[in-house]
This record gives sequence, C-alpha cells and structure tokens, in this order.
Amino acid sequence: MNKKLTGLSIAIVLNLLLLWTGAAHAQCKLGVPAIKVGVQGAASGPHSDYGRQIEMGSTMAAEEINAAGGILGCKVEIRFMDDENRAATGVRNARLLVTDWGAHFLVGTDSSGVAMAIGPVLAELKRIQFFTHAATHRLTEELVAQKGIREIVRVSVPVYQDAIIAALIFKDRKDVRRWATIGADYEYGYVSWNLFKETLKKYRPDVEFVGEAWAPFLTLDFAPHISAVMAQKPDAIFATPWAGEAVQLLRQALIQGVFDNVQVWWQAMGGSVDVLEGIAGEVQKDRFKGKLWATARYIHNWPDTPENKAFIERFTKRWKRYPNYSAETTYSAFFVMKAAVEKAGSLDTAKVVDALKGMQIRNPGGVRTFRAEDQQFIYNVPAGRPMMDPKYPIPVLGDLKIFQAQDYYRHPPFTPVSIAK
Amino acid sequence: MENIVFQGCVGLSLAMYLWLISAGLTIIFGVLRIVNFAHGSLFMVGAYLAYTFYGQIALPFWLAILLSVAGTGVLGLIMERGFLKRIYGVDEAYQLLLTFGFILILDDAVKMIWGGVFKIPPMPEFLDGAWMIVGRPFPIYNVFVIAVGVLVAIVLWFVFEKTWWGRIVRATAADREMASAIGVRVPRVFSGVFVAGAMLAGLGGAIGTPVRVAAPGIGTAMIIQAFIITVIGGLGNLKGAFVSSLIVGVLSAYGTLFFPVFELFFIFIIMVVVLLVRPQGLFAR
Repeated sequence: MNKKLTGLSIAIVLNLLLLWTGAAHAQCKLGVPAIKVGVQGAASGPHSDYGRQIEMGSTMAAEEINAAGGILGCKVEIRFMDDENRAATGVRNARLLVTDWGAHFLVGTDSSGVAMAIGPVLAELKRIQFFTHAATHRLTEELVAQKGIREIVRVSVPVYQDAIIAALIFKDRKDVRRWATIGADYEYGYVSWNLFKETLKKYRPDVEFVGEAWAPFLTLDFAPHISAVMAQKPDAIFATPWAGEAVQLLRQALIQGVFDNVQVWWQAMGGSVDVLEGIAGEVQKDRFKGKLWATARYIHNWPDTPENKAFIERFTKRWKRYPNYSAETTYSAFFVMKAAVEKAGSLDTAKVVDALKGMQIRNPGGVRTFRAEDQQFIYNVPAGRPMMDPKYPIPVLGDLKIFQAQDYYRHPPFTPVSIAK
Repeated sequence: MENIVFQGCVGLSLAMYLWLISAGLTIIFGVLRIVNFAHGSLFMVGAYLAYTFYGQIALPFWLAILLSVAGTGVLGLIMERGFLKRIYGVDEAYQLLLTFGFILILDDAVKMIWGGVFKIPPMPEFLDGAWMIVGRPFPIYNVFVIAVGVLVAIVLWFVFEKTWWGRIVRATAADREMASAIGVRVPRVFSGVFVAGAMLAGLGGAIGTPVRVAAPGIGTAMIIQAFIITVIGGLGNLKGAFVSSLIVGVLSAYGTLFFPVFELFFIFIIMVVVLLVRPQGLFAR
C-alpha cells in the first residue's frame, strides 16, 4: 500500500512537472523560455528618480503583458540596471545584459550622452534598444538616418520638443527680444539651445541671444549662473538642467528675484512629475507670476483620453506616485515591442525592425506613429504653464499649447545643428 | 562694474559652503593625518538630516540645523571610534579604502532611508527674499550663508588660538608622541577633532538644504572641490583653507560670468599653478 502510494505520488508529481514545463513551452510560440528585456536608467544621484520611473514603467508593463498571456504566449522577463548617468556604465550594462543575461531587447536610457555611446554598440550586439528618455536629435538623425543603425528606435520625443516648441510659442511675443540660457553642460543642453536659436531666428530676426551659462551635472549652486546671465538683462531665460537640478535652479532664481525681471522662463523638462512636486509650494503661491513655461515628453494630465486616465489610475494604485514621462514612454515602449514582435512572429532583430514600419499605436501618451527614416515615434506633447488643478494633488501643466508633431518635428533629409556650446 | 561687484558677492556665498566643508577636512588631516574621502558624505548626511528635521518634522529652522549638526557629529564619532581608530598605525592605502567604502555605504544608506528622489524643504520665511546690492536683488539666504561662514571662521580661530583646548590640539598635531608623553590623551583629541570636523561638514550640508537639494551623490560633488581647496591652501592649514575657499569661490563665480564656456577649467588651473609654484600649498609652513 505504501509502495503503491509512493508510486502514485511520484506519478502525480511527474505529471505535474510535465504539465508545467510543457505548458510554459507549448504556449510560447517563439521557442524561448521567456522574452528577456534589459532595462536601463539613471538610478543614482540627483537624477535617480528618472531611472526609478523607468523601472516602475517597465515593471508595470511586464506585469500587465504577462497577466494577459504574454507576447505570443511568451512570458516577459525584465532586468533593470543603473547606468549612473555615465556613458561607460551604460555601455557596460548593455553588453552585460545582452551577452551575459541574454536580453532580446533593451529599453530605457536617460541621458543623451549615455545614449550616443550605447547607439553604435547596439549594431554590434544586434539588439534593438527602445530609447525612452534621451533626447539628442543626433541619436536618430545621425546614428539612424545617416549611419543606418537600425537597432535604435526612439519612443520618446527628441529635443524638437524642448527647443522648437519654445520658439513656436514665443515667436509672437514682441515684448520678449533678449534671450539667455542657463544650460545643462553636455550634449542635451547644447543642442537644445542651438536648435532653439536656429528656429526662433527664422521667425524673429530681431531677437538677440545675450548670455549663456553652463552647469554640469551635480551643480549644487546655480547662483553664479543666474547672476551671470541676469547681468545681461534678458527678457527671457531658456533653461535645460533637469530633475532635481531644475528644482534647485528655479528656487535659486526665485530668491534672486529673477521672476520680477524677466517676462518668460522656459524650463525644458519642467513638466516632469519630480519637478512639479519639487516646485508645488511655489506654484501654489503663484511665485512664478505665470511666467514659468514648461514641457515634457508626456504629462500626466494630458491627453484627456480613457487610456491615459486608466493608466494614471493603475500607476498611482501600483506605485503611490504619479508617472513622469520616462515611466509613460518606457511603459509604452513595451507595448510597441509587443506589437512589433507579434507582427514579426519572431525575435529576429531585422524582422522586428521591419515590423515597426507603418506602425501606429495608441498609448497613454496618445497615438504614436513610427517614422521609418529615423526610426522615431511621432506624437504630440503640449507645452504649458505649471499651475494647480483641484483634480490633482501636484501641479499640472495648464494653458496648454498644442502643436502637431508632424509639423514641428524636423524632417529628413536633416541639416546639421551645431553641437558646440 | 555693478555686475563685477554683484558676481563677487555671489562668489562669496559659494566660498562659504566650500569653506565649511574644507575646514573640517583640513583639520582632520592636520591632526589625525587621515585623508577622509567620506567627508563629502558627511556633508550629504547633514543635508538629509536637515531635510528630515526641518522639512518633515517641521522643527524651527535653527533647531533643525543644530540637530543636524549634532547628528552628523554622532555619525563622525561612530566612524572614528568604530573604524578609523583601528587603522591609524597601518599603511595609508587602508585609509583610502576605508573612507572610500564609507562613501559607497552612505550613498546607498541615504537611498534606502530617504529614497532616490531628491529632497528639498520649503524656504524658511525669514530668510526668503532679497536685498538690493548695487541695484540688483541679492538673496537674503546667501547673506545668511556668508554670515554663518564668517562666524565659523571666527569661532575656529578663537578656539585654536586662544583656548587651552586649542593648544592641546595644536600640540597633538605638531607631535603626537611628545603630546602623549606630557599627558595629552591623544585618542580623545583625535575623536574630538574628528567629530568637530564632521559637524562642520554637517553644518555645510544642513544650511544648504533649503536652496540646494539633498540627493544621493551630492557628497562626491563637494569632496572634489574640497580637496582642491585644501591642496591649494596647504593640507592641514586652516587659514589656507579659508583663503583658498575665497579664491576658488569668487574666481569660479567670475569664470561663469566672463568665460562661460571654460568655467570648469578655472579651478583646476588655479590648482595646477599653485602646485607648480608652491607644491606645499599657499599657507603651509
């Protein structure tokens, strides 16, 4: 009897095992145990919230995809790594994720500097990375359109958003003639400012660019930068330090009385959740006097669609925070990847890239359309002024200016933009 | 002309943060002969504590600063008594490893305790606003920082030059064996000096919180500048640290105004010139 029971239980266990492994394999139509996605972002230092948001966005996307049966029946598995906002670390992580861990796809990357270093490596690794924050136009214009690295796909907006929209909004402000920049002292800051100058000059030959000050990462005190550009008596400031540095910069500008003396302050990525949280008190007291303008790569209060509302609801329930743009772009990148893999029916890099052609996909951030020439997804993100909205506990962007991305994005063939400061 | 005066004032406030952190660094080196790489991390901890006491618990600003300074001092005591004292006799490479280890540990510890998002408390109301200097608004907060820096300089000068305690510390710095022979309890002096240095770093971090931010990694940003300053001023020399803080703070502010594209090189050029002309530092004996 005992023997019989043992034999029976062994049989049951074996059966269960067979069923289990069989189930996992039989369901995945791509013949892999799981689709592995390596995710990277800046998860240390003053910009660490962006990496964290990338991690939250990717985790939630993987959970949702897996709960709904995976991609062609395959489970999605993610591994997040901190790139420390450093090019060398980002490249090392990318290699490690692909060669050691066996990633099929890569997603993320915050800094333009890191992205430009990873780009060429992707061709060598033969893996697609869906970029979800890094914004330099060169990633798509140079590395994709000119050098033909098809492994680069950008789901988030390029610097067109930071620079061209600003020019479009302020070209009609006749009272704003003298511009100065307080810039992030690296690729992103230089190209935003140069593209802004180039675009605005076309509409307004009378504007002057009167001053510039550059602040590297980990600048704690912007006081000398602020006073240096204010010495030129500008009408408007074009600012590109981001994350915690944007909050510091804005608060230090307030105590130097900048908002009594300028008409406009453009804070390129000021619509990010961490920045809006950081300046909430000042927005409540209207200390920016309506002169502060910002955009982002997605804002939590726009677009007003059921998809976005549902996304916000799930995200805030899952993480007890609002998603910033790197969370939305990363989350959406997973669904772009899902759609492409399903269409390709394969994990093969070339086939997945082909499957992206003509893709139009509805995400929380709106409808994204793939542009094949530079492998850039195109979608609208408005700019506006930070203000309180009773519906939200943190400031939102209001007084929204919406432009069609189709119209204001640069188009191939691309003319070079200066990358010098 | 107005712009030059104004930028100089801004530079002065920058200099005071640099002074507070390099003062502790240089005192610790002068007496303990320890190159404390984790000194910047103490600055960061001071900033986070100020955020907690002032921004979260909402204690009065002054009290919050005092508690943050005290808290950083306690951390300094733990570091010195628990770890550093074990390696006084051994090779200097161990100091490097140990203090560098503290940087990594403290960076991760603040992330675990306070999270990865930067922290910034509201501005204390009595320090909000600006005074007019040469017709331009100069933040009251920066005036406050300058005042604190100068006050600390006076107190340190007084303690070291005019008190019995200061004489003991100077004696220990000059010759620890001789000091020990005449009855100075050297280990206690070491602890006291290390704690005092830690408190200075904590003070620098704490008074910066309302305008700067508390974030992982700000310690490393400060420590490099602090080292440059102590090298320029002469390692272990307090007067040198004060003067070279002023030089570096004011010149880097002018660098931003006049040479925005090369501003970063400025401070390094000063260091290189000093090292070439006077390798022992401007004020070393």
